[in-house]
Amino acid sequence: MNSQQDFFAALLDPERDCPADLKTWNGSDPAARFAVYRNNVLSSLIDALAASFPVVQQLVGEAFFRAMAAVYVRHSPPRTRILADYGTDFPTFIEGFAPAGSLPYLADVARLELLRIRAYHAADAAPLNPTVLAAALAVPERLGSLRLRLQPALGLLDSAFAVVSLWAAHQGALALAEVDPDQAQCALVLRNGLAVEVLGIRRGDLVFIQALLQGQPLGAATQPALASDPTFDLGACLAQLLRAGAITHCTYDKQRPLP
Amino acid sequence: MNTTASHAVVSAAALALALGAALAISSAPLTAQAADNEKCFGVAMQGKNDCAAGPGTTCAGTAKVDYQGNAWKLVPQGTCEQTASPTSPTGFGQLEAFKEVKQS
Amino acid sequence: MMIVSPTQATNGAPALSPQLPPRAGIGLKSQHYQQILERNPAVGFFEVHAENYLVAGGPFHHYLGLIRERYPLSIHGVGLSLGAQQPLDREHLERLASLLERYQPQAFSEHLAWSSHGDVFLNDLLPLAYDNATLTRVCAHIDQVQSRLQRQLLLENPATYVEFAHSSMDEAAFIGEVVRRTGCGLLLDVNNAYVSSINHHWDVQAYLHALPLHAVGEIHLAGFAEDRDAAGERLLIDNHGAPVDAAVWRLYTEVLQLIGATPTLLERDNAIPPLDLLLEEAQHAQALLDAIQPTRRQASA
Repeated sequence: MNSQQDFFAALLDPERDCPADLKTWNGSDPAARFAVYRNNVLSSLIDALAASFPVVQQLVGEAFFRAMAAVYVRHSPPRTRILADYGTDFPTFIEGFAPAGSLPYLADVARLELLRIRAYHAADAAPLNPTVLAAALAVPERLGSLRLRLQPALGLLDSAFAVVSLWAAHQGALALAEVDPDQAQCALVLRNGLAVEVLGIRRGDLVFIQALLQGQPLGAATQPALASDPTFDLGACLAQLLRAGAITHCTYDKQRPLP
Repeated sequence: MNTTASHAVVSAAALALALGAALAISSAPLTAQAADNEKCFGVAMQGKNDCAAGPGTTCAGTAKVDYQGNAWKLVPQGTCEQTASPTSPTGFGQLEAFKEVKQS
Repeated sequence: MMIVSPTQATNGAPALSPQLPPRAGIGLKSQHYQQILERNPAVGFFEVHAENYLVAGGPFHHYLGLIRERYPLSIHGVGLSLGAQQPLDREHLERLASLLERYQPQAFSEHLAWSSHGDVFLNDLLPLAYDNATLTRVCAHIDQVQSRLQRQLLLENPATYVEFAHSSMDEAAFIGEVVRRTGCGLLLDVNNAYVSSINHHWDVQAYLHALPLHAVGEIHLAGFAEDRDAAGERLLIDNHGAPVDAAVWRLYTEVLQLIGATPTLLERDNAIPPLDLLLEEAQHAQALLDAIQPTRRQASA
């Protein structure tokens, strides 16, 4: 007999009867005791989502968040035993969740929070020593073919909404009333030492960094950035990446890093 | 430049100028605020694989959930109620306001 | 310090295992990382949940590495699902092996429970029917873990809310047989023993005495929440969110008299209080441990 199959099915489906072979010492209805397990599974997973998506929870309030998360947990229980990895498709779920339809920016706020979790737990990578780049400056004709590799923690978000401002307002960095959620924003998430930083960047920065992530060399990465955003400032963008320790390797060909 | 002539919009000189500026800016001493921010690293996320049981026995786990149709009674009632001012500044105005802010 | 394990492995587990000091320890919470490094609190060891550290890098590993340099460590798994009616997740076991290799903990423990089905992880410690099929399965899984990790696993007795009609043995006898067959140790959770005894109307003294107490390598203490079942009888919930109950402290003292000073963890996973409160609770356990010296185990070592 496969008792765990019945137990499992009933845990996530409140419409199902509790498993048949349960016993209680006093003959009381085992359903009341089985409810402890149902409750633990659901509420512990909702708690994990609440810990991962605190700004989403603040935006909609705890009651709404927990109800929404409960629907998600039953629909998409974890396929991982590492709960830091749970909820990767929670933003997509939120996007299609009709009761949250009045907050079209909510899914992108969740995407930003997901990038923060990823950045927090991403593999460590030592920043490139700037002297390596300084040495590259001595051969300016090769700079166009220089490839920069970025830290694994780094992530980008291109949003039609003011995700960075919304997130920052919940860190006390600016007044929420001054945020217009409908302003498109681009976000850069990275880990500077041990701290995860969320930075608002311009469109040109986003296009440039995306090109770097795809393995494009400096010259080829700069072109689309300038094409999409004539105000793109390569020096400022590189300085931001350098200061955060986000550049980890540089190389003139794909295989061999310089340092 | 190794790119083909027709696409060589970024000159080697421009790249060198930008990289030189980047190295100069990024090696400049930290501002007082940035230095202060160095101390707020590590405000930690929680571990999520814990052994905490949920409160009570009869709440979340046994509640039926139906958000299709008219069964869903909840509306978002959080800080979202304070957003969506049409008179707020542009997106970039918002961004400039907290460029130096670190994670919480 | 290596102490000869009192448990004679019959199958797979190495007879020699590093051991935690017989002192009080606390769970390591990310909220407390910096305070611990600044203050070096006098605790015997820290315990972490393995799954929280199965991430690639970042602050969790940074701080655990620093704290491990100063303190003994217990790694407590919550996701291996030893009792599941399916093969162990080999990838998970490999990740655990890497984690243990990296941090060289003095103890590794897991639960007599299941927490996964198919590819779904349920994040709760679910109860097992105590019959021969379960016994064979759990022992095979523990053998597999011990042989992969090349160390003894401490198996924790569960807190449960239901029993199974087709169980053919009681929990203590089941655990005794698992320990006998696999050579694993016992992580005696005194709170779980108390919670299950109330919930199932067991005689907690008889339960404890029927356990393989010679194999206890660590003790857990925690708080519970109180509820009622459908008949209005007490139903205790192992929520790790409250101070240790007076009844559990009494039981703990009795256990120490039976087995001597044993590494003891104060568990708190819910409503995490300030570090000082956790340390106070640990000091209470430490005082009880100090009153027990010299131990039967040290005398025999």
